[in-house]
Amino acid sequence: MKVSINWLKDFVDVDVDIETLSNLFTLHSAEIEETTKLINATNLKVGFVTDIKKHENADTLNVCQVKTNEGTHQIICGAPNVQENQHVIVAMPGAVLPGNFKIKKAKIRGVESNGMICSLNELGVDKSLVDASGIHVIKEACTLYDNPLEVLNLDDEVMTVHVNPNRPDLLSIMGVAIDTAAILDKEYHPKSYTVNEIKEENPIDITLNTPYCPSYYTRVVKDVVIRESPRFIKSRLIAAGMRPINNIVDITNYVMLETGQPLHAFDLDSLEKEEITVRLAKDNESFKTLDNKERLLKEDDIVITSNDIPIALGGVMGGADSEITDQTSRIIIESAIFDEVHIRNTQKRLDLRSEASTRFERGIDPNRTKLALDMCASLFEKYADAKTLKNIKKVDNIKPQSTEISVSLEKINKTLGTSYTKKDITQTLDKLFFNYTTNKTTFNIIPPSHRLQIETYQDIIEEVGRMLGYKNIPSSLPETVSVGRLSSYQIFKRNIKHHMTSLGLNEVKTYALIKDERVHEFDKDSQRTIQVNRPMSQEHKTLTLSPLPNLIDVVKYNKARKLSDVFIFELGKNYQKDNEIELLSGTLTGTYDSVDWQSSNKTIDFYLVKGLLESLFEKLNLNQITYHPTNAYKNCHPGQTALIKQGDDTLGFIGKIHPKYAQTHKLEDTFVFELDLKEMYNNKTAITQFNEISKYPSITRDIALVVDDKVLASELLESIKKASNKTLKTATVFDVYHGEPLAETQKSLAIKLTFGLKDRTLETQEIEEQVALILQAVKRKYDAELRSI
Amino acid sequence: MDIKQKVKDLLKEAKEQVAATDLMHNLNQVKADYLGKKGPFSGLMRHMKDLPNEEKPTFGKAVNTAKQELKKAIEKQREVIKERQIQAKLEAETIDVTLPSRQFRLGNKHLLTQIIEHIEDLFIGMGYEIKEGPEVEIDEYNFEKLNLPKNHPARDMQDTFYITEDTLLRTHTSPVQVRTMLNNNGNKPIKIICPGIVYRRDDDDATHSHQFMQIEGLVVDEKTTMADLKGTLEIMAKELFGEQRKIRLRPDYFPFTEPSVEVDVSCHNCGGDGCHICKQTGWIEVLGAGMVNNNVLKASGYDPEKYQGFAFGVGVERLAMLKYKINDIRDFYTNDQRFNNQFK
Repeated sequence: MKVSINWLKDFVDVDVDIETLSNLFTLHSAEIEETTKLINATNLKVGFVTDIKKHENADTLNVCQVKTNEGTHQIICGAPNVQENQHVIVAMPGAVLPGNFKIKKAKIRGVESNGMICSLNELGVDKSLVDASGIHVIKEACTLYDNPLEVLNLDDEVMTVHVNPNRPDLLSIMGVAIDTAAILDKEYHPKSYTVNEIKEENPIDITLNTPYCPSYYTRVVKDVVIRESPRFIKSRLIAAGMRPINNIVDITNYVMLETGQPLHAFDLDSLEKEEITVRLAKDNESFKTLDNKERLLKEDDIVITSNDIPIALGGVMGGADSEITDQTSRIIIESAIFDEVHIRNTQKRLDLRSEASTRFERGIDPNRTKLALDMCASLFEKYADAKTLKNIKKVDNIKPQSTEISVSLEKINKTLGTSYTKKDITQTLDKLFFNYTTNKTTFNIIPPSHRLQIETYQDIIEEVGRMLGYKNIPSSLPETVSVGRLSSYQIFKRNIKHHMTSLGLNEVKTYALIKDERVHEFDKDSQRTIQVNRPMSQEHKTLTLSPLPNLIDVVKYNKARKLSDVFIFELGKNYQKDNEIELLSGTLTGTYDSVDWQSSNKTIDFYLVKGLLESLFEKLNLNQITYHPTNAYKNCHPGQTALIKQGDDTLGFIGKIHPKYAQTHKLEDTFVFELDLKEMYNNKTAITQFNEISKYPSITRDIALVVDDKVLASELLESIKKASNKTLKTATVFDVYHGEPLAETQKSLAIKLTFGLKDRTLETQEIEEQVALILQAVKRKYDAELRSI
Repeated sequence: MDIKQKVKDLLKEAKEQVAATDLMHNLNQVKADYLGKKGPFSGLMRHMKDLPNEEKPTFGKAVNTAKQELKKAIEKQREVIKERQIQAKLEAETIDVTLPSRQFRLGNKHLLTQIIEHIEDLFIGMGYEIKEGPEVEIDEYNFEKLNLPKNHPARDMQDTFYITEDTLLRTHTSPVQVRTMLNNNGNKPIKIICPGIVYRRDDDDATHSHQFMQIEGLVVDEKTTMADLKGTLEIMAKELFGEQRKIRLRPDYFPFTEPSVEVDVSCHNCGGDGCHICKQTGWIEVLGAGMVNNNVLKASGYDPEKYQGFAFGVGVERLAMLKYKINDIRDFYTNDQRFNNQFK
């Protein structure tokens, strides 16, 4: 809501500057988004055009002689409407216009010009609010010694109030004035308007056929003369951001801005019957609105009808057929209240938001319905030569507010943490025009009708809190003592982030909504996906099954910027209906570590990624992890991808991206992994007891086994472990050999066997027996031959 | 020649040889040559039998003394050679310490994670628990139980991604408060912080993101006041923006709180004098807060006659942008490694 300070001064003696007022208003009432001068220009004078000649070198320019209180000046003007014997606004040399436009003496096509004759647009008034096609001609009586802005009522300042849903009262100058008076501790001076009714009776019969129009008031005026509005109304509308049209339209808007009550004017002679009925529309009923558009209505819309023909979409827009025209003589002024929800639905559906509908949607003060009507009639009498017919015709089903809100002084202080006195509270309530009675320290309050949103004692506490000032509330901490901690799962997640970053991976965050086509890129099970109904773009439509497509994009982005070593992870989600599976996903490409001048570097490969993950598993106490080759991921290399399992539980996978996928995305060797956090959390073991360290040395034996190339190391090791007794502590592969003298389909795996017992040293013979058992077993299962090393 | 003079000369000659030796095995050779059984000192001793008896002890003593002296000289030379060898090794091993090192990869948590963990730790220290909840939420928890019934004008303040009529992407982390209250069956004090991802139907630009992170705080007990809210937020503002920071509360509107306030922090860039970051006001709008609306307590099973409390919600990106003067919210989600790597 743009508030003219001059207008505000009609109601309150504002004796502070706009900056101070705006600061106080922000702290006590509502945020002031902006404060501006209505016209931000210097060195303006009233000028009188005494002579005009065509510019000798330019058809569209005129050389004007303009008289000011400092003499006569020659000014070149290109406006089509400049004429002799006009009062105009002149920006003298030295003037600064909006946009830091400095006026200087200049030669225009060889002819001297000493200033500029201005339009209001050139002085900073938005084009949508004034005629910008020519200079502004001052029609008001004035002298050359006057300040043109004062003559035009444009020497004003404007503050823009941010109006929250709980403060519809601030959509009126009166509402802003009431709070201003309370904040500045000044009197609020209400205005009153007298209507001079003639003998002729208001002929309108009113019927309300819907509960969604609880109150409908009309007056009828006749013999109106349509013309321009008086200067102060035009200027105040401009300050409020509304374009002046004519006296009738402007006055209804003016009354709305002052009171918050929107009005509508019907051309009475366009109606078939002197009767108005308010009802809900029939489905698919057709109606032509003011903007000459045919609208299809729904049962939800409120329509104003006459002789059952719609003449307005109640509270939203008038009809083209009953519009005020230059020929209009008799006018019905409507001042009514419509249901907030119906107004909201109608304006949303038809995309018809207006100053009026915004106010109806937020809620109207029922006590201003009649006030606004009388104010309008009175201004019509004064500025449109109207005669007001006798009586208001109305139906008013609104019952006055009678529910009391009770709140005690103790409750107020217990909520705010203050020690305000009863007097502090009563003074605040008085300033805000709240009616109340007190019983000891309990207040029984009826809020004023312009504050219908005050419904609970908490609302009252807010009024007290803001008016007495939040800066006067002390600072303390909650007294409740409780255990503050992370859950064990939260600690687990933090450990993962900590470990992954320690390994040199950067955490990233990406969007959960992605392109629908990409969501299945790393999904092996064709899972169901979740889409939003109305995405902002196709790029962000479907919730991820895995953040990996995003991580691939991050790699691409960085590679495109010559950052070729990208090691990243994200804690993202697989969004399933009723289940959001938390994932640790990673993408790695490039050189993991290097010293260029030593020509030593480690380019990422499968085993490096596997090693990184194994260090994580070890850190998290995840034991007995196994790897199983898989070709289930369509965008992963079928020969370099493995499911990661613990027992029967799949924790996730690790793999190289498929060469085709790499090509599509212009990537080098890139590896991905993904792990299910909950699965990992549920499978981790906890150290419950210290493990005694053996005092006896362990003994190692190295064996090399020749097997078929297809035999997996993990299978061979598994059968070695099965074949041996508990004296075998570990069996690890330390070399893999292909080539002569082995056959092409063979490989040799060198395996280190470590034996030991806690309570004694093993005898050599015991170890030989175990090795023999192992060799027998692998021979039987894999036809493995011992190779001498 | 006097035999004594011979001993002297031999010692002199041997010492000169020792001093001239610079390799350990040569020194051992010199030692063996002079002091071995076939060496010259042993040879001298063989002359003893030719000496008169009275001279024998003196001569024997002189030879032994010379041998001892030579042994000492050898050991001394041994030390010298050892030291020389070490020096030589040191010289040979000297490197250019200014050459580049082996690069260990340094990974960093995302800036948003860092800020969230910072705030979590601060509040854990004040006795808060961390609660999380789903991002796909039901309308009832995201809106209705937070005093935002259907058709409430304030629903327009948060344009929402709906999935079905009743499910949506949560527009704030407040539904976690609802879930926590419902879980407690309305009879336990609550002190929680709820961090998480939230969504709004916004076009992405420098200051808007359809996805962002939020942290909400909720305290519910029998006596928590607005003063407690103010004190708590002061601690958070100082922790994030520096000890000198002040806060101010001013009226605002949220359906879930009453009274509702917007919280400004004195500008950390200019100290409150006014600059471009605070738009010359000296204050920066940081978060929304208030006393929990009774309708919210009631909807989740807490008796507002007995319980009261405060809630606040803060945008994590906004905090990071203010703290590090980041101008574009999209930077958090682009993951340009040159951006991410700045925040260790």
